[in-house]
Amino acid sequence: MECVVQGIIETQHVEALEILLQGLCGVRKENIKVHELCLKSGPNLGSEASEVRLLCNLEQPEPTWTVRHVGGSMRGAGADQISVLVRTMVESKVSKNVLRLFYLLGYKLDHELLRVGFAFHFYRGAQITITVVSVGKMLKLHATDDSVPVTPGIQVVEVTAPASAENYNEVATAVSSFCEYLAPLLHLSKPGVTTGVVPTAAAAAASLMSFSGGNNNM
Amino acid sequence: MPIKWVLHWQPNAGHTVNSQILAEVSQCVESINGVKDGKWKATLSFYRPVIKEQANAAEFPRDFLGISLPEQPSKYYFVLRGQRLVLEADSTIQTIMEKLQSYKTRVALNFEGVQYQLGDFQLRVGKVVSIQSESLRGIVMEMEYRPISSWEKSHKIMGEFFDIWQEALSKRPLPGHFVHMEPNFGEFGLSGQYTLQHTAVQYATIMLQMIASAQSVRN
Repeated sequence: MECVVQGIIETQHVEALEILLQGLCGVRKENIKVHELCLKSGPNLGSEASEVRLLCNLEQPEPTWTVRHVGGSMRGAGADQISVLVRTMVESKVSKNVLRLFYLLGYKLDHELLRVGFAFHFYRGAQITITVVSVGKMLKLHATDDSVPVTPGIQVVEVTAPASAENYNEVATAVSSFCEYLAPLLHLSKPGVTTGVVPTAAAAAASLMSFSGGNNNM
Repeated sequence: MPIKWVLHWQPNAGHTVNSQILAEVSQCVESINGVKDGKWKATLSFYRPVIKEQANAAEFPRDFLGISLPEQPSKYYFVLRGQRLVLEADSTIQTIMEKLQSYKTRVALNFEGVQYQLGDFQLRVGKVVSIQSESLRGIVMEMEYRPISSWEKSHKIMGEFFDIWQEALSKRPLPGHFVHMEPNFGEFGLSGQYTLQHTAVQYATIMLQMIASAQSVRN
């Protein structure tokens, strides 16, 4: 299970966001380069269609693979009152022939994306991860060296935190509180709820850049 | 990782396995100074596709196995024997497969028994039982040699130990014998350095033999 919020930010403000996050999180950023393959079950497999994501981490010299299943999100009055999305999510690290396995099991490639950017992992009331990535699509099958941005000039920000049935309220509160610090630069909300860029972003970014230029301590 | 041979009991024509054979095998290990060292258990599941009525079942693999091994409880192994594929995953992959609902486990087997230390060797003797019915479906043994992890370099000493073991067992009037089948690990993309993926492939290979033996008894 995890709590999730998402938002977008103009690429020109990402450096300012990174400065802000560096100060808030107090940890080093982790570079991200992930090839994400979204597979769907073929037409005759399963009583209902199913979807699974294969994530290939290209940041290390030897690529590593993870399988991720994102399940249904919490619904109902309780869910409506929470400002984050709570959904089931299961991951498993796997060895490198996982794509061949799923093809042989009857899954087909639906689409693939390349996510390049950075992430911060830190603890602030919950174990939180914030990723800021440019999302690209490949011009040829699996050609990760040949990608174009899906949304030029815009990057995607996602904040996630693992949760359980017992603690998701506390985790949701921790994520929401953290997001308030980012409000001048971007607005984060449940995936699927579009908010656009924040009007104060340019001014906030300028302030962060000048502050960072004049002073090494935050 | 130490080299391991996984052996399965091949009954003589017209015979089946029974718990008396298992008891004799265990006593034989002890008679060659094997020292009891605890219990062990591995599991194997058959995954079957959930397919729509009009679909052609041949489109999907019929030998999709999931294996858990006692050395690494946090890992799980998938084998597609016909396609020579073995995959190592975190054990959470089982939860993912349950959530996908595209494949379901139909038959699950436990391999369980006692392990023994014998110098640099570790021996495991185990019964194969169906989780659903607890009936005895077979007998397996694991022969592990701790000092070597190269499959090729270990061949001679493993072969010699296997011969010693067969000779000790042959003194008992048992209707069958242990068989060692050596899969072509290279076809599965595995190197000469032994890993748990090699063990998973050996178990998958044994299943094929056990199914074939059971069918020939029925015929």
